[in-house]
Amino acid sequence: MERALQSAAIIVVLLLVQTTFIPLISLGGFLPDLLMIWLVVVALQRGQIEATVTGFAAGLLQDLVATKFLGLAALSKTIAAFVLGYFYNENMVEQTLGSYRFVMLVALGSFLHDLVFFLVFLQGTEQPIFFLSIELSAGMALYTAVIAVLPMFAFSRRYNTSWAR
Amino acid sequence: MLQRVYDILFEFREYAILAGLVILSLILLALNDNPQVKRVRAVTSVVFGVVQEQVNFIPSYFGLRAENELLRRMNVDLADEAYRLREAKLENLRLHGLIGLKDHATHRLIAANVVGKNLTLLRNTLTLDIGSQDGVEERMPVVTDAGLVGLVVAVSAHYAVVNILLNTDFRASAKVQRSRVDGIVAWDGKSLILKNVPKSRDVKPGDVVITSEYSDMFPDDVRIGVVSDVRDRPSSMFKSITIAPSVDFVRLEEVFVVEYRSDAERQLLEQKAPAGVH
Repeated sequence: MERALQSAAIIVVLLLVQTTFIPLISLGGFLPDLLMIWLVVVALQRGQIEATVTGFAAGLLQDLVATKFLGLAALSKTIAAFVLGYFYNENMVEQTLGSYRFVMLVALGSFLHDLVFFLVFLQGTEQPIFFLSIELSAGMALYTAVIAVLPMFAFSRRYNTSWAR
Repeated sequence: MLQRVYDILFEFREYAILAGLVILSLILLALNDNPQVKRVRAVTSVVFGVVQEQVNFIPSYFGLRAENELLRRMNVDLADEAYRLREAKLENLRLHGLIGLKDHATHRLIAANVVGKNLTLLRNTLTLDIGSQDGVEERMPVVTDAGLVGLVVAVSAHYAVVNILLNTDFRASAKVQRSRVDGIVAWDGKSLILKNVPKSRDVKPGDVVITSEYSDMFPDDVRIGVVSDVRDRPSSMFKSITIAPSVDFVRLEEVFVVEYRSDAERQLLEQKAPAGVH
């Protein structure tokens, strides 16, 4: 229960930052997704089930506050978190969090999340939806992965691991 | 059973949770009313339509069961409706024939329904739902569009009893329509016969037998039946002629009583004669 409340508090804080400060560092319209970085942490530390549920809750909150498209971020984050859960290994938590693998997983999760998100979000437009979705997802994933380097260093220092291994 | 379901769900709990949350997300998505969702709905409809079209040949057990029940109920309703229509059609045909008869009759006809039948004895009778209050009197002939039925032998205020052709008490003067050979129609307990026709007379199977003008009880030229068998008996000077009655007494439902009264003077005279031929 305590862990759930802690997770909920973190999600709320991240969502506040995401909607207030993150737009200020937008690059060509691309924004990093802090909630996605947090989901990778949850997936690697707590496993697939908790990550999936956290993804849904975080996405739903994001829908209510930011996207105004009820259910879309919830769906995207649920699927992405579920896939990320496959990389859970209780013997490798610290090594993974403190290494480049964490950044790669953030990129993967972010890409999956944005791909699902944009494939639905861009429906009804005249644009080539599939290619545009890949382009946007790749951009978002890259930016989020770059930002994820910061927590990677933090974990590396905390767990005394080498980020390059 | 429930435990087994629980075990399976527990074993695949990750997928169960994913499926549940995805479905919940899709339900939430469906609540939106923006163009994207409309577009997704349209695409989904097309995809589902194509898939359903491909798997439509697979019969659904529950669908078949419900369909079967519906069809059985419809079958009962339609059978009932068909029965009622058939009844109405038959009644229509019967009444149509009777109306035709009534149009061409030279005497007034009183319509009646057969409310009782006694067709198992030597003295077979019908009971009609009309009586003296309707103008029916004893010794009035009874007919249908098919031909002669019999003779009224008893009347009450609302009912009348008819001796039909198939009654050992019944006699009628008759003739063969083709050859004009005269005889007497009677019921011998087994067959309707044409009596008193000499062997030399021309009567063949298929000849139509009608009432004769010699009769004072029946109007002439009313069809009685068709000759079905003609035999020469060695020990008799008369032919043995069997007649198939024109009227189907088993299926008889509506008749007409003919308001036909015999000539009183002739009747009085003939009553003095020894044979009770009408």
